[in-house]
Amino acid sequence: MTGLEYGAIGFAALLLLLALRIPIGISMLVVGMVGYVSISGVPALLNHLKTEMYWRFTTFDLSVVPMFVLMGQFAAKAGLSQALFRAANVWLGHHRGGIAMAAVGGCAGFGAISGSSLATAATMGQVALPELKRYNYAGSLATGALAAGGTLGILIPPSVVLIIYAIIVEANIATLFQAAFIPGILAALGYIATIAIVVRINPESGPAGPRATRQEKWTALLDIWPVLVIFLLVMGGIYIGIFTPTEGAGVGVTGTFLIAITRGGMRWEGFVDALLGAATTTALIFLILLGAAMFNAFLGFSRLPFFAADFFKNSGFSPMVVLLAMVVLFILLGFVMDSLSMILLTVPIFWPIIAGLDFGLQPEDLKLWFGIIALIVVEVGLITPPVGLNVFVINSMAKDVPMIETFKGVMPFLMSDAIRVALIILFPTITLILPRLLVIE
Amino acid sequence: MSESGNSDSRPTDSMGRVLLKVTRLFALAGGLVLCAMALLTTVSVIGRRFFNTPVTGDFELIAIGTGVCVFAFLPYCHLKRENVLVDFFMSGAPDRVKSLFDAIGNLTYTLIIAIMIWRMSLGGIDLYKVDEMTLILEFSRWWTFPAAILCLVLLLIVCAYTFARSVREVRRS
Repeated sequence: MTGLEYGAIGFAALLLLLALRIPIGISMLVVGMVGYVSISGVPALLNHLKTEMYWRFTTFDLSVVPMFVLMGQFAAKAGLSQALFRAANVWLGHHRGGIAMAAVGGCAGFGAISGSSLATAATMGQVALPELKRYNYAGSLATGALAAGGTLGILIPPSVVLIIYAIIVEANIATLFQAAFIPGILAALGYIATIAIVVRINPESGPAGPRATRQEKWTALLDIWPVLVIFLLVMGGIYIGIFTPTEGAGVGVTGTFLIAITRGGMRWEGFVDALLGAATTTALIFLILLGAAMFNAFLGFSRLPFFAADFFKNSGFSPMVVLLAMVVLFILLGFVMDSLSMILLTVPIFWPIIAGLDFGLQPEDLKLWFGIIALIVVEVGLITPPVGLNVFVINSMAKDVPMIETFKGVMPFLMSDAIRVALIILFPTITLILPRLLVIE
Repeated sequence: MSESGNSDSRPTDSMGRVLLKVTRLFALAGGLVLCAMALLTTVSVIGRRFFNTPVTGDFELIAIGTGVCVFAFLPYCHLKRENVLVDFFMSGAPDRVKSLFDAIGNLTYTLIIAIMIWRMSLGGIDLYKVDEMTLILEFSRWWTFPAAILCLVLLLIVCAYTFARSVREVRRS
């Protein structure tokens, strides 16, 4: 058998195991190990395993992942979601659909200091859903807006998925964070515009709330100062290159910890809860990372990524067609898989293919552009049926809204996602302008 | 898509309760290491920015800390059935079939971790013999191996327990 055949069989075996509900990290590990042995022999694998786990976990590059995870945990306990929603609500609430817009705005604010979509959806859902219900918002609009808004947690940096992408393609994490910023803001604005259109078509779905006084507006805005401080300090520092991402995350953990204690009333139990939450998320990410490393070591030996890149380079397909095919594949995978696993499974093969095609961009720019496109498209999987996690989280909080209503409510936001992806593909400048303006040495 | 499982993630038998306590303790210890790393980074950043005296070798400590905390987190995550899986294709399958594949997954994980413990012990001994050190702090690399292997042994026990748990679930349903 050739390496290529091994690679193809390995992929098929992996998909089969995944379909059989074997955890993703374990599936990748076992296929990777068996594939490694069949190409390089048992002694080579046994030697490889002596230090594989140690080196995979003991790396400075990845230290930023558990730190951002913990920062998100503390941020969720800091009582900031309440303040963010209130601040957005006094400014937007009196418009038709305004309370839903405020929920999206709150998600965007929370997303700027948290790297998790689920946490963003959950924490904002807790404060916004009761308000939306009180003003008789349609269940579909209320839950749809929050499920979609939750994806801003990962679309607006910091973003764990983006960190992993950066490590796979060997890009600068800080530069990728810069690249994601404007597309993330566009996502928030797109969702707000979507709500405006939905309530124009169906005015009963999102009635206007009361108008706040000028004083209320400024008091509420002042109340979100911790978010601004954390954002400016951590993300601002990373964007303009004062901090490395790890330094920013470390400072962010300390900052959110202090705010969680002083403002959020976090005590020992809350602290333990945050640590255990961070432990679980970190462990599941690193198990998948370990599995992906093993699987990719095997794929590397099989030379499948090389053959694939070579094939597409000489196939005469237009680069755009290849890119669109990948986008479609991402969307299909998103129906059944989580975003991190998708990135780890596909990017080692997709990136060499993309890098070999001529999109009229410099290689470094291409990394950023493709990364942001991939990030957006894999995040869509969080709100598409049948297993959109954000949809489940929000729906479980809104007991009186049937699941089908939530999925219906999400549909207009998917349209907004589609338009945004098209814009970002057509105009790479949207992604590339910030990294060009803020060059990090 | 994360595993919500076909039974509660809180174990009801005495073995499971003990394991939950121990794995929770390991996870908390790892969490404290993570907090210490964050604090160290903050101190180092402030030192570098304002006093021009960074903590020497801080990134070596952080790399090692990352390794230690991840090893400590793994058993808790697996015991709580939190590892990510694709539930879509089997969502309509009877509980018995699901538990059967859970058992296969848990057995696979048990075997992999057993191999890892065996190989890592030898890898640790190798590093001890050559006494490989980190560049700046000259921290002996083998030092973290006993801690990591201790975590893996706990993970192995958890894996064996979850395997037995899923076999029991196959029988029961």
